[in-house]
Amino acid sequence: MGLTRSMLGRAISSLLLLLVVLGGAARAEPSEAERAARWSDLRHAIFGDRVVEDAGDRVAIDAPERAEDAAIVPVTIRVSETLGSEIRGLYLVIDDNPSPLAAHFVLGPLADTKEITTRVRIDDYTYLHAVAETKDGRLYATAQFIKAAGGCSAPAGKDQALALERLGKMKLTLAERLRPDAPINAKLLISHPNNSGLQMDQVSRNYIPADFMQTLEITYNGQSVFRLESDIAISEDPSFSFSFRPSDPGAAGVIKAEILDSSRRHFTQSWPVAAAPQI
Amino acid sequence: MTEIASGVFVHNGVHEEASSGNKDAIANIGFIIGADAVAVIDPGGSFEEGAALRRAIVARTDRPIRYVILTHVHPDHIFGAAAFRDDHPEFVGHAKLPGALAQRGDYYLRRLRGALGDEARGSEIVPPTLLVADRLDLDLGGRHLLVRAHGPAHTDNDLTVFDESTRTFWLADLLFVDRIPVIDGSIVGWLKELRELIALAADRAVPGHGPVFVPWPDAADPERRYLETVERETRAAIKAGIGIADAYRDVAKSERGRWLLFDDYHARNVTASYKELEWD
Repeated sequence: MGLTRSMLGRAISSLLLLLVVLGGAARAEPSEAERAARWSDLRHAIFGDRVVEDAGDRVAIDAPERAEDAAIVPVTIRVSETLGSEIRGLYLVIDDNPSPLAAHFVLGPLADTKEITTRVRIDDYTYLHAVAETKDGRLYATAQFIKAAGGCSAPAGKDQALALERLGKMKLTLAERLRPDAPINAKLLISHPNNSGLQMDQVSRNYIPADFMQTLEITYNGQSVFRLESDIAISEDPSFSFSFRPSDPGAAGVIKAEILDSSRRHFTQSWPVAAAPQI
Repeated sequence: MTEIASGVFVHNGVHEEASSGNKDAIANIGFIIGADAVAVIDPGGSFEEGAALRRAIVARTDRPIRYVILTHVHPDHIFGAAAFRDDHPEFVGHAKLPGALAQRGDYYLRRLRGALGDEARGSEIVPPTLLVADRLDLDLGGRHLLVRAHGPAHTDNDLTVFDESTRTFWLADLLFVDRIPVIDGSIVGWLKELRELIALAADRAVPGHGPVFVPWPDAADPERRYLETVERETRAAIKAGIGIADAYRDVAKSERGRWLLFDDYHARNVTASYKELEWD
């Protein structure tokens, strides 16, 4: 019933082509009706003919209304307590980006779904859509408008030597657990240029090749927290804040992150997690 | 154009964003005349500004323009380079300048055209022909310029120039006076470079933005205070779990009112510092 990855890939490819064709014409600031039509096109490309319901208060997006740096816009997707355990996936769509589907989180059994935060590039004033997919296949969408421009083609890498030296390194910060039954809050930083492929080398007249993280898999003691399918819209040095619930909070464990990028590089790192404190 | 020391000329940039009205002449740029040759230190922010600088040189000397020093990748310093092509100078840049131009040149050119419209015509990326990885001595005929390549600071490709005969220290954008510093390299690196620079004696300094010359090293105090405050308070914000989008509201707010264009650049400076410091 869900889309397979290849179906999704084909849908997005044809959509990209459509956007490239449309993008050829000089474009004024789109009207609300045009923005709605774009979302309708995107929704069909990603979800086909499935019904996408208004999320109401089930799903929320938290992002700055106006971004200070369009290449690093923090976005949090929140899911209500009632819907929480029913969720199996979260989609983040940036309607007016060159590649609109920014992230698809496939949530595993250990995910605590209340909220996930990442940082994205935003290319133009746009709606963001977050769509939650339940285990029984319902889709709930919410939207937020954001004023930011130029993030996708913006130059990356303030210190390129450091970026190369640190490529693939990760840093995980775990919040202190006050109660054994509380979820573990984690923040993961990944050193990766996540090049968009939209930057031209002015001297050679070649585009700098796209080089971005395609999948990120987080597991705890071998069980999935989430698997992310991502794209060029994720900011340089991808960052994720998320929570998970160990199946046995009383025992110590290992959290592991695995990355595959578009240059077929593979990065893995693991961190020990101490047993929850006894009350 | 002001002669701030014998043979050292500076054109004062305005404290504005690039526009068709100012032709991107927003940085301090200039030249030094030796017995045999002339060195340009930053050709300016557009072809038009570069051409005006060249006219100012030709009006004062018939000696050849042998060097055009590009102090770093930023558009307000380099887009005038094309105006000097027919002089066939060496275009001098940091060893990391070509990489930075590759990443950013196209974006900067498009942005310049957007901001200046027709006034951007002729502005081009000119790649450096003479790279500096550490130090380089340029002889203008009995007049030596010491060009230093710095570690990541304002950008990852900053050069400074010391004119030995007048002890004038051209710091370009490693020194901001009055206008808020822009952190586009490394805040930790900039503070490190600044500590080393301050130890070097000079009779005067030329900031990339600010008056045409200032006392050295006293004029570096406000910049150092700003960078130290941003570093310290950004670290505290990260430790307190304040998010990257919210940190700028509190970080270094004591600095507001002390700098021109504060609201245009401060939030981005804090974002850049946050992104750098969260790895520590």
